[in-house]
Amino acid sequence: MPDTTTGVVVIGGGSTGAGVLRDLSMRGIEAVLVEKGDLASGTTGRSHGLLHSGGRYCVNDLAAAIECVEEGRILRRIARTTIEDTGGYFVSVSEEDLAWEPRFVEGCAKAGITCERISVEEARRREPALSQHVRTVFWIPEDGHLDPFYLVMGNVESARRRGAQARTYTEVTGFIRDGNQLTGVLTRDTMTGEETSIGCKAVINATGAWAGFVARLLDVEVKVVPVKGVMVVLSHRVAHATINRCHKPGDGDIIVPALSVAILGTTAVKVPHPEVLPIEWDEVRHMIEEGSLMADGVSTARAMRAYAGVRPLYDLGAEAEGREMSRNFAVIDHEQRDGIAGFTSIVGGKVTTYRLMAERVTDLVARRLGVTTPCTTAEVPLNDRDDELDQLRHRPAQLGVPKPHGGERPLQPLVCECELVRPQDVTPWFEDAAVRTLEDIRRRTRTGMGPCQAAICSYRLAGRLVTDRHQDGPTATRAMAELLETRWRGVRHVFWGSQLRQAQVTTGLHLELFNLDRQLMLQAEPAAAPEAVGARQ
Amino acid sequence: MKCDIAVVGSGLAALVATRTLQQAGRNAVLIWPGLSSLYFTYATVDVLGYSDLTTTQPVEQPEAGVAKLIADHPNHPYALAGLDALRSGTTLLIEWLRAAGFTWQGSLARNLLLPTAIGTPKPSCLYPESMAAGDLQRDEPIVFCGFVGYEDFVPELAASNLSRSWGRGDQSVRAIRVSLPGFDTSRLFTSIDLARSFEDKAFRREVASRIRREIAIDSVRVGVPAVLGLTHDTDVYSSFAAEVGHPVFEIPTLPPSVLGLRLFDRLRKHIQESGVEMIWAAPAHEAEVSDGQCRRIYLKSAGREHPIDARAYVLALEDMVDGALRAGVHTVVDPFFHQSLAHHAVPTERTDESLFRPQPFASIGYAVTDRLQPSAGDGHPLARNVFLAGGAIAGYDPVGTKSRGGLAIATGYRAAKEAMAA
Amino acid sequence: MITDEVGTFSDTVEEAAPVEACTKCTACNTVCPVARSTEIFRGPKFLGPESERYRSQPEAAVTAGLDLCSGCKLCEVTCPSQVSIQEYIRRAQNKGAAEKGRTLRDWVLGHTRLLSRFGSMTAPLANLGNRNPLVRWAMERVLGIHHKRPLPRYQWLTFERWFTRRPHNKTARRTVAYFYGCWVNYNERRLGEQVVAILERNGIEVIVPKQQCCGIPAVVNANMDLARKYGGENVRRLSGLPADVDIIASSTSCGLMLKHDYAHLLDIPGAEQVGARVYDICEYLWMLHEAGELNLDFQPVSTRLLYHAPCHLKSHGIGYPAMRLLRLIPGVQLEEVDEGCCGISGTFGVKVEKYDLSMKIGSRLFAAVKAAGTDAVLADCETCRMQVEHGAGAHSAHPIDILARAYGHG
Repeated sequence: MPDTTTGVVVIGGGSTGAGVLRDLSMRGIEAVLVEKGDLASGTTGRSHGLLHSGGRYCVNDLAAAIECVEEGRILRRIARTTIEDTGGYFVSVSEEDLAWEPRFVEGCAKAGITCERISVEEARRREPALSQHVRTVFWIPEDGHLDPFYLVMGNVESARRRGAQARTYTEVTGFIRDGNQLTGVLTRDTMTGEETSIGCKAVINATGAWAGFVARLLDVEVKVVPVKGVMVVLSHRVAHATINRCHKPGDGDIIVPALSVAILGTTAVKVPHPEVLPIEWDEVRHMIEEGSLMADGVSTARAMRAYAGVRPLYDLGAEAEGREMSRNFAVIDHEQRDGIAGFTSIVGGKVTTYRLMAERVTDLVARRLGVTTPCTTAEVPLNDRDDELDQLRHRPAQLGVPKPHGGERPLQPLVCECELVRPQDVTPWFEDAAVRTLEDIRRRTRTGMGPCQAAICSYRLAGRLVTDRHQDGPTATRAMAELLETRWRGVRHVFWGSQLRQAQVTTGLHLELFNLDRQLMLQAEPAAAPEAVGARQ
Repeated sequence: MKCDIAVVGSGLAALVATRTLQQAGRNAVLIWPGLSSLYFTYATVDVLGYSDLTTTQPVEQPEAGVAKLIADHPNHPYALAGLDALRSGTTLLIEWLRAAGFTWQGSLARNLLLPTAIGTPKPSCLYPESMAAGDLQRDEPIVFCGFVGYEDFVPELAASNLSRSWGRGDQSVRAIRVSLPGFDTSRLFTSIDLARSFEDKAFRREVASRIRREIAIDSVRVGVPAVLGLTHDTDVYSSFAAEVGHPVFEIPTLPPSVLGLRLFDRLRKHIQESGVEMIWAAPAHEAEVSDGQCRRIYLKSAGREHPIDARAYVLALEDMVDGALRAGVHTVVDPFFHQSLAHHAVPTERTDESLFRPQPFASIGYAVTDRLQPSAGDGHPLARNVFLAGGAIAGYDPVGTKSRGGLAIATGYRAAKEAMAA
Repeated sequence: MITDEVGTFSDTVEEAAPVEACTKCTACNTVCPVARSTEIFRGPKFLGPESERYRSQPEAAVTAGLDLCSGCKLCEVTCPSQVSIQEYIRRAQNKGAAEKGRTLRDWVLGHTRLLSRFGSMTAPLANLGNRNPLVRWAMERVLGIHHKRPLPRYQWLTFERWFTRRPHNKTARRTVAYFYGCWVNYNERRLGEQVVAILERNGIEVIVPKQQCCGIPAVVNANMDLARKYGGENVRRLSGLPADVDIIASSTSCGLMLKHDYAHLLDIPGAEQVGARVYDICEYLWMLHEAGELNLDFQPVSTRLLYHAPCHLKSHGIGYPAMRLLRLIPGVQLEEVDEGCCGISGTFGVKVEKYDLSMKIGSRLFAAVKAAGTDAVLADCETCRMQVEHGAGAHSAHPIDILARAYGHG
């Protein structure tokens, strides 16, 4: 007997898995999502956050472009608060770009993408950051920023309200089968090692770049090509709208203003494993150099960190490589293909089209389960917490107005001063069982994502682990150290100028003032005997 | 502007150098590029906490520890400055603190172990009176007291950590919180706001009585966040401690650091009021050298360059953080002599993969002669009348050994002495 | 870093927006006199660099609480990363005022020159009115000017008119242009007379080009357009001076505007060149001394004095030349009082809602001044002098006043 039972187990806590969980729950199908890390900790959370208008695909991948157009419009309805309608520019800076333009215009027309040619003067009036190298400009109003963390959390929250469950740090180690029929999954808690089983009628493999590994547990092949992309985060927005190179999609050709920062993207390198994502200096350098061709201030801005994500490109068997491969997606019906009933994979695609992907795979699974309730995810808004989710950009003004005469709105405290995270933004997540680490808090609240990269707020968060979560000191201290360490790994790639000076402030605070390095050593010692503190006199 | 000796910097090294010159009757000008970014690390002055980077065993006798370090590492900045400079500089600093109205304690003979805000024992040998009762070589149980709504010191975290590395049983360390009269916990308050409130007698008395009520037992000591007064710390501390009725000690908080603020505010104010001129807002750069002598340096302030012509210069800046070095993408340069101090093909070479191990960037700095003059690494000075102190000296990495304060004292003192002789 | 040309990624680090250089060390908050005196202020770190990241968003509103920044610039002089914290706060204040409008009071205070001109024209009446409790009560109710704040006395004969009427001395080694500012013109002509006398005593011809308010009252009252207009007029006129004519200011804040803020805060074309030849009067006299050109023929002045360095003087980055100069005078016993900001910050402490805060900020200074019990407190800035007189009941003067006495012009 499995430990628990449900209708459908969804594997993968990225945008697709979260979207599937919501779709299932909205059709009245009981579901549990299992994710071996945190929600949005894989491909989704490491995307550059571009809400694709479709402009980047309209020449080479028309089908994907058309999906983007449609899904972008749907997301603006159902997930308004996760989106910032920045609009976007497609700019030409070279002869090659100019030669690409007719194809781009034609592609936009075919895909139904609104695209307006504007004069460089007009463009620069609207967006002073456009560089001197820019020769021609198209305005694409439907480009935008999609906050990948809010998107996933919003989907999961919506599903939870309908009875679904999401279990983080829960890895699938095997399946329970009854002949050809899957009847459940075996899972292991990646932190505690605890093993459990979940009985179910169907399993949806929504693990993106990891889909092949999950399928292999059933001796089934799913060919996903992991393609690494490196991104650089600048400490402020640089531009008000997204800026794309108007050319065949290539390295370093996009700038996304994302809430308080700007993200430069990206590269495309095939990697042997979705978790082997080395960040090469040449990639970082290339992002900054290419970005500065499009916008002023890119090379002079403070680079805050670099990170790498992995695209889950589905190998349809064509000869295509990396970017040439379709960003389209596929639903693999393993019952039909491999004779394993109750197992379905959804592969390929991109964050912008997550909902459509979820709809398609849920359609199939629901049909098999005999559920006829139609999909409503394109109509029903994602969450009821609209007002709470879109506040970051308005927070500076909301943080309290001292009025010396008469009533005074109190100045609110902040947990993270860089990203304006208030205590009330953090507190609820400490009660969420899915949240295990401070990185998880970061993904849900942006705490620690600003220029100081958690130097200050990590202490306050550690304190809350003790006071709100009742963890012991060493556990909370380790969590604080891990948050700092994870941040450090991203910042290391851009250690020059201000960021190197910042590093000295971080080491001064944690290693000198707090003596955190010794604390960690003391904790690592087998039994912290009183003698460890020195001879008592 | 012309002067006898120009001291550039704002950290402890610069202050010690300036005071050394002042005491010797020299006309020093303190060129201050802004408060050091690392001001908050100076809650105490740490001379040598650990003899190496891997041990958790603290150095018991810092002076002996430094002597051994000098013997083992003849190129260490401590060795260049010399043990005598550390001793004389420390005496000078202690006397200065007393003259400035501070009650600091300690000596080079012995490290105390003082709990940090995460509850880790930290070896320090010079400390304000208000921190002394925290010494973990004493036996009384400890109560960490935090304030409701104040997140920059978390008593529960400190208590939980410390109870595992110190004490006898769970009763030895515990945490309490008291609410502060007149403070609405839903609103922002910083250590500065608290420190100001503690200067008020009635406030202090009320907080003390709330703490007393929470602690029903005798013979404990109470660790509170370091917010006992913005400036007049000694009065605030002693009267508060008397009212609490138990020994009280302060623990440094997240920045804004009241302890760092008090120390630098007081020393800067004292040295100025006792006649040393200070030039505020003046980042310095560009040493003009001819015939082996620096003729002038430039200050960049109010949008233009001001020349400073001195007979000798002490450059006492803390690493990159205060502009002693400028780190480009590949090259770290010095803004005074335009040397390339380090070159990295890839920026990641500057750091270790882990934050918690020694960082290569911390050791980058100016090569110096045995008189602390900047050199190109060949033992010959770039300018005979320029002397370096503090973090800008190559090989100066106080982080792992907890030796920032001592290094600042020793190099600041020695550089000042050399500047006088130049 | 700087990109020299397309695609090259050079190795020098010079972050364009210095706001990005903030490392959150929080040093600025520890020195901010407002943050030290009230808990309703978030402090320079938040209002400057931290909020600035959000101000680049098109729909981001102006951060609340900006108007509590007094504009002393101590945050800037303290910042180890040289972030122009104040400039960001000023720009945001201005943006807020441009969007939401200004109060009548702030409009009036921004137009100090107009106000002073009117006060000067009606001097006896205006002075009487400014001291009449009923008038002051009305001013507080209508304008929001605190009734306890002493307002400056106006003089009927302006410095400008005095200067044009006096006989002109042309036998000089050198010529300087005097930027006397509104204060000397309308309120303390005597200081201007002393500046002229001291310079002439040192063989320097003084000319007085036509000038406008320096614009700092407009800047601190969130009216940067007006300040830019004033500044533009001044830059235009001062640019026309012969290249070898230096410009002297006797007010700390006027001097700082000319030296720095015209070019860096207000982006006035040509301001950099003008700023490069502006000197504070004491800075200039000290330069003469270092060049061996200062007349040291001083009469002894037997007096005990306290020197308070104005916050904006610290921003000049020239040290305290007034103290160096006065120590040359026999008989002068001079000590520095270093108790930080006096609290008035120009028009800040005049406002009804900020008067108490301003007095609280200055309280440490007032106590120190009272305890010292010297003959006078010297400060280069006129509003500091007003505040010290008001808060500590002490006599105050510009350092030039002592120098003039030593030259026999007392």
